[in-house]
Amino acid sequence: MKEIMAIVRMKKTGETKKALVAAGVAGFTAVKVLGRGNLVTDPQTIEECKEKLLSMGMDEFSEAGDTEKMVTSFLDGSRFFPRRLFTILAHDEDVPRIIEAVAKANLTEYGVGDGTIFVLPVSDAVRVRTGEAGEAAIW
Amino acid sequence: MLLIRAIVRPEKKDEVLAELSTAGFNAATMVDVVGRGKQKGIKIGGMVYDEIPKTLILMVIPDDAKDKVIRMILSIAKTGKEGTFGDGKIFVSPVDEVYTISKGTPGL
Repeated sequence: MKEIMAIVRMKKTGETKKALVAAGVAGFTAVKVLGRGNLVTDPQTIEECKEKLLSMGMDEFSEAGDTEKMVTSFLDGSRFFPRRLFTILAHDEDVPRIIEAVAKANLTEYGVGDGTIFVLPVSDAVRVRTGEAGEAAIW
Repeated sequence: MLLIRAIVRPEKKDEVLAELSTAGFNAATMVDVVGRGKQKGIKIGGMVYDEIPKTLILMVIPDDAKDKVIRMILSIAKTGKEGTFGDGKIFVSPVDEVYTISKGTPGL
């Protein structure tokens, strides 16, 4: 028995749910959280995205330095952003399949901020309706 | 790798996260939660408040960083010299696997 915690973009919630159904996993719990990842050490990775955002954000009222500072902090991982935390309980043998499905649904071209998947061991589970425990309680 | 679940006072979260970030543990997730501890909440006059707002901070860290991170959270999240009821708790659980989606490889 494993617990899969996947932290994904808010926008990708629908796609993640669809991917889970396609992988044969219908049950999940989702919470709205705030998250941030590792700091971007190589500025090259966010360069392309930064230029794109800067070209969108500039107008006659904004000062170049301010906008750039904001966009950089937006991309380099120093600020918290809304994310969706999925918690999925799974049998051991289904874990690789679920990870693959979630990772595929959430991969974007941005290079950073796509989320993380954690796999934790679970010692027991109980279904409230029937009282059955262990592997039978998962699905 | 280890998952750290730290329940701290909401007013302490910024300080805790800033300190962890400067120490090199930038990645974190936080959720606003409500809960009570073994004091069964707070009793003020005749009212009992047993859903006290706290912030739950989730972090996955390498095994060898455990002591450092825990000591850091403890020192900042504690209020007063002796500590106060309601300062929070830290839970540590094992993590089997970690995948970073954008990199497509296992690992933090």
